Amino acid sequence: MELAATKYAFELADVTYRYDEITALDGLSLQIESGRRIAVLGANGSGKSTLLRLLDGLYFPDKGTIKSFGEPLTEEAMQDEEFAFAFRRRVALVFQNPDVQLFNPTVFDEVAFGPLQLRWEKSDIRRRIDETLESLEISHLKDRSPHRLSGGEKKRVALASVLILEPEVLLMDEPTAALDPKSRGHVIDFLADRSNAARTVITATHDLDIIEDIADHCLVFENGRLAADGTPSAILADHDLLERTNLIHAHRHRHPDGSFHTHPHAHRFHEHDHEHK
Amino acid sequence: MNKTTSAKSRRHSGTFVERTLTGLVRKTERALFAEEIARADGLLQRLDPRVKIVGLLSLVVTVTLSRNLFTILSVFALGVILAVLSKVPVRELALRIWLSALFFTGAIAVPVLFITAGEPLLRIPLIGWTITAQGLTSALYLTSRVEATATLSILLVLCTSWSSVLKGLRVLHVPVVFVVILGMTYRYIFVILETARDMFEARRSRLVGRLDGRERRHIAAGSIGVLLTKSFYLHHEVFLAMQSRGFRGEVYVLDEFAMHSRDWLALAGFAVLVGAAVWLGRQESLQTLLNLS
Amino acid sequence: MHIPDGYLSPETCAVLYAAAAPFWVVALRRIKRLLNTRMVPLLSVFAAFSFVIMMFNIPLPGGTTGHAIGVGIAAVVLGPWGSMLAISVALLIQALFFGDGGITAFGANSFNMAIVGSLVATAVYRVVGRGAEITATRRVAAAGLAGYAAINAAAFLASIEFGIQPLLFHDASGAPLYAPYPLAIAIPAMMIGHLTIAGIAELIAAGGVVAYLQRSNPSLLKFTAPDAPELDSTRVRTPRSMRPLWIGLAALMILTPLGLLAAGTAWGEWSANDLADPAAREHITTVSQGQAPPSAPPEGLARLSEIWTAPIPDYAPAFLSSPAVGYVLSAMFGSGLVILVTTFVGWLFGRRREKLTTTTPIE
Ligand SMILES: Nc1ncnc2c1ncn2[C@@H]1O[C@H](COP(=O)(O)OP(=O)(O)O)[C@@H](O)[C@H]1O
Ligand SMILES: [Mg+2]
Repeated sequence: MELAATKYAFELADVTYRYDEITALDGLSLQIESGRRIAVLGANGSGKSTLLRLLDGLYFPDKGTIKSFGEPLTEEAMQDEEFAFAFRRRVALVFQNPDVQLFNPTVFDEVAFGPLQLRWEKSDIRRRIDETLESLEISHLKDRSPHRLSGGEKKRVALASVLILEPEVLLMDEPTAALDPKSRGHVIDFLADRSNAARTVITATHDLDIIEDIADHCLVFENGRLAADGTPSAILADHDLLERTNLIHAHRHRHPDGSFHTHPHAHRFHEHDHEHK
Repeated sequence: MNKTTSAKSRRHSGTFVERTLTGLVRKTERALFAEEIARADGLLQRLDPRVKIVGLLSLVVTVTLSRNLFTILSVFALGVILAVLSKVPVRELALRIWLSALFFTGAIAVPVLFITAGEPLLRIPLIGWTITAQGLTSALYLTSRVEATATLSILLVLCTSWSSVLKGLRVLHVPVVFVVILGMTYRYIFVILETARDMFEARRSRLVGRLDGRERRHIAAGSIGVLLTKSFYLHHEVFLAMQSRGFRGEVYVLDEFAMHSRDWLALAGFAVLVGAAVWLGRQESLQTLLNLS
Repeated sequence: MHIPDGYLSPETCAVLYAAAAPFWVVALRRIKRLLNTRMVPLLSVFAAFSFVIMMFNIPLPGGTTGHAIGVGIAAVVLGPWGSMLAISVALLIQALFFGDGGITAFGANSFNMAIVGSLVATAVYRVVGRGAEITATRRVAAAGLAGYAAINAAAFLASIEFGIQPLLFHDASGAPLYAPYPLAIAIPAMMIGHLTIAGIAELIAAGGVVAYLQRSNPSLLKFTAPDAPELDSTRVRTPRSMRPLWIGLAALMILTPLGLLAAGTAWGEWSANDLADPAAREHITTVSQGQAPPSAPPEGLARLSEIWTAPIPDYAPAFLSSPAVGYVLSAMFGSGLVILVTTFVGWLFGRRREKLTTTTPIE
């Protein structure tokens, strides 16, 4: 079954999602055009991961509807194997924690997992595994166990495990979290690479440094609601918005002369070299 | 894995936190050691895992079937030869397997010497206890059997990567779903081990001095509880990650095995050895060869 | 408790594999129906969890530490079927990869610890915890006792498996081929350690985890407690006393050996006396292919059996001098002794009590 090419990759109408008492997404409506590169911004707990899981057909809204490529994305629709396989092939999610995603005994098995479940021809699978590993420069890791890989290597294997399916939509959950600078650079390069431009890439992050490289449109979340959207430069210029949504926070620093100075401060991974009060 | 941890934990190993930490680190170190040897270029490493699994497991069964010491010791010797040919460091083997088996089973076997009914062989002066021939034979049966089977089964995992063991299990008609569960279990043992280690290290830095028993039990049970909660969350995330890539309950795997002529040769070799050992093991006449009674 | 290869005859191993197999099949079917697509990740992660906690050192009263199998916890969280599968997988990885427990004995180990252990734990948890609120202290006690009973049931089975080896399997000279100790020795030897150290470790682990989950994540306890009344969240709970748990434990410690006693003299049959008993000698002679065993019990065995019956005065009722009673009593004395000694040692060394530097709750 082929899903038609449509203007919108996703259309959400009034989507609400709850975990027991916590409302993670609250009446969310938005449309995501095919081929766009979107950054989903928001502080921890603002609902980014939940959104990606809804888009990947893992969770289903308690209220409201989601359409993917014009087709309703519901639990019933996903029961149908043909639809599910077509959807899984088209939309892929890279989880934030690679340990969650790498559950196979070796890198080879990991990359083979997706195509095997989707019942590809075995000879095609073998060929595609080699190509995919090659393109991510991890062929040498083929027989390694995931628990023997570094954080950066794990991230690349996780990417390989979904890219083998050649998805049209790539959902990335905090791809740069907890990576060393070099691996972080690799991931940014990958996402910034214009040869991936045919794809729709939706990246959840609170790493403001990278959004100009990886996105041409931003959605800013706050408590499960869309607080704003716009181009990366417009969003980055709006200090009030960033502070209100906890993407940056005001820090008071003491200077050598003893005076205090308050300035906005991007919420990202780095060490402070001066004292906090 | 972090090597300094084990040194540190040994230094002030006193509390259960330290002891648990040491245990966790040892387990991971041992797994790493196994992976290193599995990559070495030795006799067993070069064989198809199916041949190894079938061959070595048959030898283990043969040892337990054997009714005379001669056969058990011969298979034990065979295990040692295989170990040497497969570049398994014999010193490590002696320390990790033979000595620990000897301590454990040896301690259990000592009283057997005295309490087994049979012909008196030796009377210990002063205490006046009698070692019987049957007692001695029985103690030897137990220890030699334990040593031989432990050697053979450790050879299996030392000389085969875990993923090949898994694939080889399919040949023994272990269902796919079970093999997949085994593989994932092994994978998540390392994730949970690491979580546990981080947790205990964090805990150690917060604890000063000794705690009373209640507090310690509280912490131990709490740690297990934390780990359980995290495991539950982990399983849910893994479930989603599997679904995301098309998993619908049934698992499909690629079986990639090629039997080379040396694998067939090895299989034949194992068959001959196992056959001979089974036959030898049934020979009552051999009992007099080494038995003392 | 992890029986290594070489202790059990191939026949025993085969029987126990055969005994375990139907449970595995049924458990797999039930879990598959219950959990559907979730089965694979759930069993895998929980087997991994069981494996890891088998390595935990649990502090015991008196300053020693012990290891738990985790069967109490697994049964309380996953129910009997999930628990027996998860523990079996953990045991298989221990056997295959880490050399703890034999490969030929895997069937036996699974049968004892995973299968019977899970069933016993579930039964005890259901009976003791019946109808209690999820957050009730009774559930803590129920889980602790479930773990304690499960591990002891498993140890008891293992000891019987050991104990029948010398009776059934010996070579022509009469030397036992596998585990050499008769039931009369194997049972008390196994049970002393499990009624005390291992049992209490299991009890603390299972009870403690349930107490922890009641505070932090009670939803994990709901799966096996469908009969629990709805939570009354308005009620403020006071810190609970663990006394019911310890009382229950004491009762179990006393009752277990008495239970063994009720099963009669079956185990006494093969004690030292038998070698002097013509019928038994006949039996041994047939199985040892014509060679008669020595007519007098070896001194060592006689001495060991005296240890059990020695403290019983002559004027006691006759049945008390039977070997069965002997080892039941020795199991009780042994348990008590171990507890006394460890408590005393703990008291000696544990008097320098210091404090937690922080009261931060476990994250
Ligand atoms: N499995 C879960 N169970 C209960 N609450 C959850 C779960 N996952 C997320 N939440 C809650 O939902 C809200 C949104 O979480 P999430 O989507 O993970 O946000 P983000 O990815 O932006 O950090 C948070 O309040 C979080 O605590
Ligand atoms: Mg998130």
